[in-house]
Amino acid sequence: MKTFAAKLFDLIELKTEDIAAQWAKDVMKHNRTPSYGSLPEETVIELGVKFYRLFRQMSLSNTPYETAKTFSSDYAEECYEKKIPLQEALYAVILMRRNLWLYADFQGTFMTVLEQYQAVEALNWTILMFDYVSYQITEKYHELIKGDADKKIGFVKMLIKDQPFGEKKSADKILIMFILLLGAVILTYYYHSSLATSTVFTHLFYIPIILASLWWGAKGIFIAVFLGIVILVSHTLFLQGIPFTDDIIRAVMFIVIGVVLSWLMGNVKKMKDIYHNL
Amino acid sequence: MLSSLKLLDLMSDRAESIARQWAKDVVRNSKTPYYHAVDQDEIIPQAVEFYQKLSRVYTDKDPFTSIRNFVGKFAEDRFQEGIPLPQALYAIVLMRRHIWLYAEFQAIFITIVEQQQAMDSLTRTILMFDYIAYALTEKYEMLIKNSTKKDKR
Repeated sequence: MKTFAAKLFDLIELKTEDIAAQWAKDVMKHNRTPSYGSLPEETVIELGVKFYRLFRQMSLSNTPYETAKTFSSDYAEECYEKKIPLQEALYAVILMRRNLWLYADFQGTFMTVLEQYQAVEALNWTILMFDYVSYQITEKYHELIKGDADKKIGFVKMLIKDQPFGEKKSADKILIMFILLLGAVILTYYYHSSLATSTVFTHLFYIPIILASLWWGAKGIFIAVFLGIVILVSHTLFLQGIPFTDDIIRAVMFIVIGVVLSWLMGNVKKMKDIYHNL
Repeated sequence: MLSSLKLLDLMSDRAESIARQWAKDVVRNSKTPYYHAVDQDEIIPQAVEFYQKLSRVYTDKDPFTSIRNFVGKFAEDRFQEGIPLPQALYAIVLMRRHIWLYAEFQAIFITIVEQQQAMDSLTRTILMFDYIAYALTEKYEMLIKNSTKKDKR
């Protein structure tokens, strides 16, 4: 394959700067690559030169895919830094291929019947190499986007993980929740029946409420409702004569916190889907 | 342009056979791991539809607009399925490769004149897929941005 394409590689070696300059003119004016229009011409030409040199290196390599990686990575990083949208960065590479071909055509590189045959082979090889580069650029772009997202979301990333606060099986979660709820019922009974007070200890109820929302999302609200009912029933049984107001406010707050957390976790789940789609 | 009609006929008449070859490849290719867990029979119809739609716009004077429309829908479906852009793009690359492999296997370009036709067909096909790659990436980027915006709201 590479023997057939040798003519093309010779042309690239001799005319790298010319082809790059021709590409620069094209990419800076093209309506699908408007971001390149605002870059200095020398910078764009330099990008082209780098690419065509790489293309030559790929032709000499036994592992062209690996050879292309460094260039693709640098090119994607440079474009990403300059805030060039991915579709434009990719289309610029497409224009590189097209200009290479136009230049070869213009120079009459493939004229005879045999050369026409060589042209098809050379074109096939060129396309394969460009497919590699395009794939690597897209992959790198998405790595960079994900890296940026990682930095921005920071703490939320922990929640985006499938299992926040360590990997727990469903049965473990139910067991932990059961123990916490049992503790809450015993505490309520002890404080209400023995000490006849409802202060301080109810703050501990937020632990199962938070965990339930993290683990089960909207379904976690039932835990908040359950704990609200526990303190109200216990108040009715053991704190007769003491006004209900404080415990009603506490029960309502449990449900409000449960609802807010479930809503937040719903949004975190959406973020997780977006994150995985990157 | 007319010389590329042979390939066009092949693409519309044999869409299913080409799609089958593509499906076999995409579920094994190392650059498309998402597809490895997918049933081949599930993805063949999407490739058949893709080839048929492509063959309809192949001779359009302004194929880019038509391509943007049908690729937009294709990208939306793949995005909803959760396929990452690099893999969706490479699956498209494989679709193009399989048109060509099928044509070669069927030996539709043999004589000297046909070799010239092959060159024209190849150039036209590449142009179409360049547009497809652009439209697919553009749509994906838009979908990612939109879902991020919705999430912020």
